[in-house]
Parts: sequence; C-alpha cells; structure tokens
Amino acid sequence: MSKKYVLIVDDDPDLVETVSMMLENKGYEVGKAYDGIEGEEAIKKRRPDVLILDVMMPRKNGYQLCKELKSNKWTQDIPIVLLTAVGEAVPTTTYSHAEGMATEAEDYIPKPVDAATLVEAVERLL
Amino acid sequence: MEIKRIRIGGLKVLEGGACVVSSSPRGEDCLSARLAAPLAQSKINLTFLTHVAGDREVLCTAGEAGEAALTLLKTHTAPQGSLQLQSGTAVLSLYPHDKRPEIIGNFIRSLARARVIIHGLASSPSAISVVLSARRKKAAVQQLFEDFQFSSFESPKDFFEAQPPPREYLEKVVATYQEKVIKVYWIVPQPDLDLWGLSISSSEILEGFANALMDLADLGLKVPFLVALPGLGSKEFIVACSTARPLSAGDQGLEVRRLLKQHLPEARPMRLTPVAGLFLHGPHFGDRYGIVHTMLEALEGAHVSLLALSCTISSISLLVRQQELAAAQLVLGNTFEAPVESPPAAASAK
Repeated sequence: MSKKYVLIVDDDPDLVETVSMMLENKGYEVGKAYDGIEGEEAIKKRRPDVLILDVMMPRKNGYQLCKELKSNKWTQDIPIVLLTAVGEAVPTTTYSHAEGMATEAEDYIPKPVDAATLVEAVERLL
Repeated sequence: MEIKRIRIGGLKVLEGGACVVSSSPRGEDCLSARLAAPLAQSKINLTFLTHVAGDREVLCTAGEAGEAALTLLKTHTAPQGSLQLQSGTAVLSLYPHDKRPEIIGNFIRSLARARVIIHGLASSPSAISVVLSARRKKAAVQQLFEDFQFSSFESPKDFFEAQPPPREYLEKVVATYQEKVIKVYWIVPQPDLDLWGLSISSSEILEGFANALMDLADLGLKVPFLVALPGLGSKEFIVACSTARPLSAGDQGLEVRRLLKQHLPEARPMRLTPVAGLFLHGPHFGDRYGIVHTMLEALEGAHVSLLALSCTISSISLLVRQQELAAAQLVLGNTFEAPVESPPAAASAK
C-alpha cells in the first residue's frame, strides 16, 4: 500500500523541516513548499491526501490559497489544516480567526504548534 | 567538484538590521550573564546569533535596537573585550540545505564570488544564513541565482518583487508568545559528530573553505552545523563546522583534514571528536526575546560547556562534548516544553 502523502506549505523552513520529520516518523510521505504559489504548483503536480498550510506567507497567503482550493471542484475535497499565529498570541497581526473559519479549512491550529496535536489532526483527516 | 545551478527550495532576506561583533577575554566567559540576560531583560529580539568557545559572538537585532544592544553589552563586557556595531545589515538565508555540504559550500562560494563581506554565517536545521551589508544584498542574490535554481523564483527580479514591504514581517510577529514554559517543537540530539575549527586570514578566502565543503560531499559526509564569524581584529575569521559520517563509513578524519589543507594551505584545522549536536527546532528564536537566555542559563546551571552555538531562522543549534550530551538533553528537556519522544537516530543523522 502506498504511503499517504502530506504536503506542508510554510515560509518558515525550520518549521517545514520539523513537521516533515514528525510526519515521516509516523510513516507518511511528505512534500514541502515555501510559499503559496509554490504550494499551488506542488498540488498541481501531485494531489496531497492532507495539506498543511501556513497563513502568513509571501506572494500568496494561506487564506487566499485555501479559499481558491475550496472553490475549485478538483481540489475542494483536499483536507486542509491551517497553521497560524493570530488573535491573542499576536496582537499586532492583521489576520483573524474569523477569516480563517471563513476559508472552510477542515482544521485550524494556532502556533506555536503542538506536535502531537498536529499529527492527530492529520491522522483524523486521512 | 564543479556543480552548476543546484535546484533548491527558497531564499529569504531579512532587512533593516544591525549587527554586533563581540569578543571577551578567554576564561571570563559567562555568555548568559554577559550577553543574553541583558538583552532579554531589555526585550531586545535577536534575529541571528553565533558563538564559538573562545568567547566570540556575532548577534543581529532590528536596526533601531542596535545602539541599545551595544550600550547594554558594553556595561557587561570586560575592559579587554571588544564590541563593534555594524548598522544597515541584512540576513540572507538559503534553504533547505538538507545538511548537504555541496549546498552549503555552493552558498559560501556564491558569496565569495559576489565579493560580499561576511559578518557572520550560521546554520539552522534547514537553512544556512549570512549576515552582510544590506547594500550588498542585490549582488549576493544575483550571484546566488547564477549558482542555484529556485523553485519559487525565476530571477532576482522575481525574488525582490515578491518580498514583503520592508519590516512587515518583523512587525507582525515580534515578541509574541509568552508561555510560562517556552514551547519547542522538538529537541533533536545528534551524537558522534566531528567538530572542525579553522582560523583563516580573512573572509575573502572562504571560497577555499567552500570548495573543501563541496569536495566533502564526495565522501558522503553531512554538515549539520556551521558557524563562521570574525575573530579578533580584521585579519582573522573563525569557522566551526561539524561533520557526520555515514554509519557504514569508518573514521574519515584524515581525509577531511587533507581536503581542508588542500583548499586552505595556510589553515591549521583542529578536530574535536566526538561531539554532539542538539537542535532545538522552532522555538521561535527569531521573534521572541529571552529564549537563548533561558537556554544558556539552563546549560550553565548544569555545568554544560558550549562548544559552539548557531541561531538563525526560528531554531537554535548547539554543539557540546559528547560526554555532556545526556546532561544537556536532561536540562533542556526540563527547561522547555518539548516532545519527549526523539526521532530515530537514523532520521536525525540524515
């Protein structure tokens, strides 16, 4: 049986590395992209079983990409976990929880990410 | 070994910074009290920090905090020590390096070819970063596009157009998380490393070191840790790098030494083995003051001596003597909130 494929899109390369290690350790195949547009290209090349998506990214932010994927009939079924630092944790941010909820992502995890929570979220969506 | 245009994930630049190069007389070091505590108490974020035993550091802050950092450090540095402030700096990071010496070597060689003066180099688990004058960043990026292919950008123009407005990112994420116990995504130990220390006459001949790194790839070696910083005066540049050999390979120390001597005939490489790396993944090093201080205070309290320290992007990497690894792991595990489970040795050695 082929491994489940999880794509992580985040502009923090250390976070991408960490989450990749966590998921590879659990037996998943992991793809990496470092901004919204690169993530979009990666999805065109291979449809992920779960997409982990950061919100604050250059070129195309996670909310934009999430909305686009959810409004496209070819990609709307890809389960998406949004990762972000918003609300109480980052008083200065312009991104909001409400905006995140409106994207119709399947899950929404605040940073700093709890490793076990993230892995649980991925496993729940597979 | 000639490598053309390695394909790689990304590049980022953090502008509007200031850099302080610090040195203190040998034997007087207490990095926590001398450097980290005053900066943490004044809520000054560090965007970059390197340290090598022998009491030398390079640290970077946001530009407007540079003078304040310098003033604070002056009051905590012995009279024989020295401090130099460089304003108008940028931190340029390339990723992911995958611990591959040919990627790190090619990055350093690009900087040499662009005739960039390097104020400091640091590695994170995924990235290799350089501190340089912001005025030279375009030249550096142009040369990097000659030597690498980036998934996200076709040209330097694409890259610069995609950058957020200056400082937007720093303002959005500065000093955010205030947990009582700092959360770290993962503390990954990596034992059985060799530490190579080199003193070379200037950053200008780092190209020789870059070529040596690129040849190390042929030995199957990985480079999980690298820092470089100016030494005392302008005529010296210190490089500390760790290598991890494949499990199947024997001791390749002689071969590494030969390569270093071949490319840097005047350098006298020093090897310390075995040493261990500890990689604190993603404790938001770059956007929250006080994390390094917390870590140093814990290590000093446990009488663990740092051999070298590298902080960039969002992670902290450090080297200790192998016999101190268990103590370091224990105290860091008690100090930070981090997963207890460690990845398998094979995964951490990749």
